Amino acid sequence: MNVENFPGSFDSTVDAGLEWLSDNGSGLFDAVNDVLKGIYESLLWLFNLPPYYVVAMLIALLGWRLAGPRFAVAALIGMLFCAFIGLWPETMSTLALVVAATLMALLVAIPLGVVAGLLPVLDRMVEPTLDMIQTMPPYIYLLPAIALLGYGTGTALIATFIVALPPAFRLTSLGIRMTPNEFIELGNASGVTGWQMFLKIRLPFAMPSIMAGINQSLMMAFGMVVIAGIVGSGGLGETIYGAIRTLDIAKSINGAIAIVILTMVLDRLAQSAAAAYEGKRP
Amino acid sequence: MATTSLDVNNVLVSCESVWKIFGENSAEAMKAVVERGLTKKQILQDYSCVVGVSDVNLEVRRGEIFCIMGLSGSGKSTLIRLLNKLITPSSGKVLVKGRELSSLNAAELRAVRARQIGMVFQSVALLPHRTVLENTAFGLEVQGVPKAERLKVAEAALTKVGLADWTKRYPDELSGGMQQRVGLARALAADPEIILMDEPFSALDPLIRRQLQDEFRQLTKELGKSAVFITHDLDEAIRLGDRIAIMKDGMIIQVGTAEEIVLNPADDYVAEFVAGISRLHLVKANSVMTPVALYKAAHPNVDVSRLPTTPPDADLDHIIGLAVANDRDAIAVMDAGVITGVITMRDLLRGVQGTANEYAHPVDQALAEVSS
Repeated sequence: MNVENFPGSFDSTVDAGLEWLSDNGSGLFDAVNDVLKGIYESLLWLFNLPPYYVVAMLIALLGWRLAGPRFAVAALIGMLFCAFIGLWPETMSTLALVVAATLMALLVAIPLGVVAGLLPVLDRMVEPTLDMIQTMPPYIYLLPAIALLGYGTGTALIATFIVALPPAFRLTSLGIRMTPNEFIELGNASGVTGWQMFLKIRLPFAMPSIMAGINQSLMMAFGMVVIAGIVGSGGLGETIYGAIRTLDIAKSINGAIAIVILTMVLDRLAQSAAAAYEGKRP
Repeated sequence: MATTSLDVNNVLVSCESVWKIFGENSAEAMKAVVERGLTKKQILQDYSCVVGVSDVNLEVRRGEIFCIMGLSGSGKSTLIRLLNKLITPSSGKVLVKGRELSSLNAAELRAVRARQIGMVFQSVALLPHRTVLENTAFGLEVQGVPKAERLKVAEAALTKVGLADWTKRYPDELSGGMQQRVGLARALAADPEIILMDEPFSALDPLIRRQLQDEFRQLTKELGKSAVFITHDLDEAIRLGDRIAIMKDGMIIQVGTAEEIVLNPADDYVAEFVAGISRLHLVKANSVMTPVALYKAAHPNVDVSRLPTTPPDADLDHIIGLAVANDRDAIAVMDAGVITGVITMRDLLRGVQGTANEYAHPVDQALAEVSS
């Protein structure tokens, strides 16, 4: 093989591989796409069920309970602002995208993180993959996804899912591993079973770390969901991308403001939920 | 040793030449010890392994508080963890109520730990997200005791340690001394026969420590429990222990009552340790007295029966009080109506110094038995 021809032949190999995958796995990928869309659309349906001011009120109420009255007022004003600039439907689809992708990521990352926390071997095996995911520019994940799932929500969800995976996994694994030794001894000296050790001792000590992981995954998902506008994710990401292409500065700034508001509201809610968990006693 | 350890009723815990060697090559190091009798230093050099516990034999009898005293690094914390197999011995046997721990399967070992051997830690290890009551009920919860019942038992245990009013609080609202009481209540709630105490009071200030020592001793005796108590404080060992084992470099160098150890230290190391200990309440009349026949021979004109008398187990403090009150320089020791000896001023002063009378005494015989 000639060195000068190598880039070309490498590219064509990759292309052939992807083509083979989409030819032979089209059934599978269509199914994956349908499931992803299903999750997203059910969430979106749910968020669009009540009128915008009811959703805004609900978010404010939740904020009141978790973070106090000042945050509740700020969240209410912020959410209503999103509606008044005419971006309510987009805000809700972004929310649905983020929530769907984060939930899927947590469903995989937390159980896997728990196992890795208990089995250092698994942790050592998974770590390089996570390092890779976190060092690569996030929009890289759009490319294989778009090749296999096509333009649309499914691709956006998969890419967001991948990016949201590492923080929750890492912090769950860390939390499970970091149980203070004296409590492990206490458990053993009290005659606990393996399950009891996990549920009654390791998990409670890991909770703050797991909560921090959930919050970080959520923030990563927000970052990705804007980038995923390029592949037709719908929502604010696509609004901003479209506005930039047509040089509609005002609209792109509106979209950016809505994203910032939504991110801040969710971040505070998640942080307050974690704090409320840790401080659920007086 | 082998015959006595079969006496399950009186020996609750026993160790038979137990070793613990830490390190990656611990198995080979152990083999080398058995085959070639390497020393601690050689093992560290040749196998880069650390000897934690070295050839320990001990017996904890029913109803006694057995103190293990040693400085940090002496292996005492390792030794206590061998007694409930938190650490597995490299060689030798650990028996709890006649059953060898290493022969038990996982479920049996859990049952032994849950029901027969409780443990109290220096760090207390109260779960921060549980109330005092829930912490106390932890052992029972693990055993699957229904909630209402275990909380009732836990409350009773907290009442015993004087914390009945604190059940709803969280650990960080309690002082160090109170936390340690919760630790004790948690161990008592599971009603084990043996309680392992791993330096529980070391981190407390002196007054609270004394108070807890007295309470612990009283409670243990009242409930008929046996305890193995680890400490680096000889005063604590003397206040608490029915018997004391002194540990150094992973070995037990002397076992005996406080009086035996103070009067007849096994070596210079122990002697140095006990040098600063006040003898006044430790040394008993029959350890310092001159046998009556010898006294009569030396003082033919003293009528022994007219001397003030003291029982043989009275301590030096009491005898000094007697001598001062009666203004006499000799006190007779009366055992079951018979005068067995006389304590002269010389005997008394030697006793305060910590030297037994040179003329054969029960203590010497007891020591001879122990060391044989």
